[in-house]
Amino acid sequence: MKPNQPTRLPTRAELTVATPEGVIFRLPLAGPTPRLYAMLLDSAIVLGALNGLGYLIFWIFAKAPGFGAMTITLAEFAIGFAYGALLEGFWNGQTIGKRLFHLRVIDESGLPLRIEQAWVRNLMRVIDALPLAYLVGGISVLSSPIMQRFGDRVAGTLVVRETPLAPPADEAWNRQKYNSFTEYPAVAMCLRRAATPELAGLIQEALRRRNELAPYARREIYRETAAYLQDEIATFPDQLVEMLSDEQYLINAAGVLFGDQRVSHPQR
Amino acid sequence: MILDLERFQAQGRARWNNLESLLAQLESRPDRRMKPAEAELLQDLYAQTATDLNRVTHGALAPELRQYLERLVARAYAELYYSRPTRSELWQPRRWLSIFTAFPESFRRQSRFFALAVVVTLLGAALGGLAVRYDPAAVDVLLPADYLRNPRLRVGQEEKGQARHTNSTQVEAAFSAELITHNIEVSLLAAGLGVTFGIGTALLLFENGLLLGAVAVRYTQQGFGLFVTAWLLPHGAFEIPSILIAGQAGFYLARLLLRRREDRNMRQSIREWLLLIAGLALMLVWAGLVEAFFSQHHEPVLPYGFKLAVGAAELALLTLYLLLMGRRETVSAAHEAVPADTR
Repeated sequence: MKPNQPTRLPTRAELTVATPEGVIFRLPLAGPTPRLYAMLLDSAIVLGALNGLGYLIFWIFAKAPGFGAMTITLAEFAIGFAYGALLEGFWNGQTIGKRLFHLRVIDESGLPLRIEQAWVRNLMRVIDALPLAYLVGGISVLSSPIMQRFGDRVAGTLVVRETPLAPPADEAWNRQKYNSFTEYPAVAMCLRRAATPELAGLIQEALRRRNELAPYARREIYRETAAYLQDEIATFPDQLVEMLSDEQYLINAAGVLFGDQRVSHPQR
Repeated sequence: MILDLERFQAQGRARWNNLESLLAQLESRPDRRMKPAEAELLQDLYAQTATDLNRVTHGALAPELRQYLERLVARAYAELYYSRPTRSELWQPRRWLSIFTAFPESFRRQSRFFALAVVVTLLGAALGGLAVRYDPAAVDVLLPADYLRNPRLRVGQEEKGQARHTNSTQVEAAFSAELITHNIEVSLLAAGLGVTFGIGTALLLFENGLLLGAVAVRYTQQGFGLFVTAWLLPHGAFEIPSILIAGQAGFYLARLLLRRREDRNMRQSIREWLLLIAGLALMLVWAGLVEAFFSQHHEPVLPYGFKLAVGAAELALLTLYLLLMGRRETVSAAHEAVPADTR
């Protein structure tokens, strides 16, 4: 995938927020898998840090190993909870692992989480980690419509995906200067009327993912889609269609569907 | 109607970029308040972008553009409607010291949940005590560990200093940390099990009471009542109240989750729950230190009368602290500050 190509978001679960101004927007939610990866990474970081700290403490307390062990036990315990709570609290809902996996903890209302919420959801890990390997938390996430573990339910938080998005580039059908379909406004009109949103979306996706498809698959998909459009939806004259490749056919169709609205007035 | 995406994007791109750079600027310095001009610009760009989003949602099939605009709107919304505390506000020592007065205040506000925790524990203790008293067979079931079943042996070991913790300060230090972390973990479990509508919390408290009652009766039966009291009271004076407070927090959470979503005041409630946890964690640190460094010493090193006196004094101080701390200032203020549903 090219770097400037916006990534598609695979998750279906989302949080819908209605603001006081009546604006409605959706935030894609993070499923258990990326959260698990982020947590494993965070655990590795904490363990590594504790190991380093352990050597330091043993060196400092060489003459008093009992107090060294005491310090390590307490530090281990405190850091286990404080790592997540402090980082999420001060770093706007992200730990190092969450940052790398593009996750963020936010309030249920779509606003940033508050420091108390960060503490609550991390203290509640005691419950979510039961009985082993975060089984309770995992079940809670899968059974919740907004993917909350128990810590999230109590703290009123949830985890969203923040895959970096670039502003969409120009689409292929916007770049072409001339669309031969506009010469047949009546048929084009027919296409516009008959195309369902699903069909339009299919054409758009097929074109957008051109470079992700293997050549033979692309050829096949384009051929079938174009044939379907030509046979079932809007029949353009044969002498035109014969000159067009299947891909060009779909680009023209997309241009008719999404592009310039003056399509039915080719004289302008 | 279907949007002319090309023209729409060309027109919108400038203000979307503006909003994006403004947001990046604001997010990179969460410390400072927005200037009035910035706030005005943000509000403007937010409104325009929200309008754009509306048009894309209803007028075009452009999922990527829509996602992009949604993300922008969400970020601007967060920036407009949430002001995070600045660093100087967070690091005020007074704010942190106020835990010491706020904790007993929360404790008193939610005292009915504490009473419930006490009742459940007492029920457990009564059952445990009665079972051991009237049914010798129950001893094997209720007191799994050998040393609990045979007080005579244990007391002999303890008084001779042969038990695990001989009088080495080093061993005691390591032991204290284990006690502290273990106790806090169990308390967190009790407090967190509120999510099971309090059933888990109740079971945990009940089991705790059962063990306490059984041990107390077993030791008393065999004539070691004084020993076991002197052994347990110095740290128990803090440890047992803190597990009860953990139960209180658990029941409080359960009550909260049983309310309808609209009736919850999450912001206040979360604070209340956290205060209880913070307070009991501090109590358990003290209890752990006392248990490791003080409780394990017996006669002839420490007379039992002295240990009992220390334990009683601790209990009295704790009671006074929980009942009186912060009372004068809050009698008038607290009743206004706390909404009716948490009272």
